[in-house]
Amino acid sequence: MTRDFQNTVNEILSDESDVRSASESYQAEFPYELEREFQVTRREFCNFLFLTSSALFLGSAATGAKLLMRSTAEPALVPQKISGAGDLQPGASINFAFPSENDSAILVRAANGNYYAFDQKCTHLTCPVYYSRENDRLECPCHEGGFDVHTGDVLYGPPPRPLPQIEVEERDGEIWAIGIKRKGNGSET
Amino acid sequence: MEVKRRNRTTLFRKRYDRNASLSRRASTRGRAAIWQARLTLLVMINIAQLWILSATIEAVLSGLVKQIVPLIIASAVCWLIALSIFLWWKPAERHD
Repeated sequence: MTRDFQNTVNEILSDESDVRSASESYQAEFPYELEREFQVTRREFCNFLFLTSSALFLGSAATGAKLLMRSTAEPALVPQKISGAGDLQPGASINFAFPSENDSAILVRAANGNYYAFDQKCTHLTCPVYYSRENDRLECPCHEGGFDVHTGDVLYGPPPRPLPQIEVEERDGEIWAIGIKRKGNGSET
Repeated sequence: MEVKRRNRTTLFRKRYDRNASLSRRASTRGRAAIWQARLTLLVMINIAQLWILSATIEAVLSGLVKQIVPLIIASAVCWLIALSIFLWWKPAERHD
């Protein structure tokens, strides 16, 4: 009896590729099984872990490559008219797209009547910033970051760099976005 | 004389069987240990790669281009180690 048991254990340990056939004697004695019995051997689990490792590597490479491609291919800056900016009251803001349709930006008319425009993506983790009229600053709601509404400099919170400032100018009573001024440690896109 | 020879043969066979059984048991234990080691290493590599992936995503969202290449290289090194474990670090085939 002991020898049979030892043999079965040895079979199970040595033949992991087919657990069901290795444990056949137990199944005969205890013939209950689920309709779709799920057994994972160490060999299968190792294969799964290797596939996971491959997927994680591909994920990292693809994510990084996306940023690298984006940083090398800067879109050409074409001046754009910001529609609706002329009607903006002091202490109000509107969103617009610059330099491409996928890049959201925010135009703020400060209390002093001047216009300031910034890239809307927070330099911490790309959350959109909004203009807080009460505090007269740009705030990121995700991780409590704050930016100066006149310069885009970081006032507090986790953002590592100032917001890229969009240069605006007035032409015939309309506000135009004409360029982007980036500040920071030189590691930005 | 014949009986004595047979007894001796039986004795030798028993001793041989016992040695073979001990050897097989040790071999089985060794194989199990190697599989366990492979599993442990692969799990550790996966955890490290998960951390690297989250750091890569954070660097991408922050626009930190300088951090991207080292992170991708680190992930590639982890994947190569996993590949070597997957392909080569296996227990030897049993010949008995």
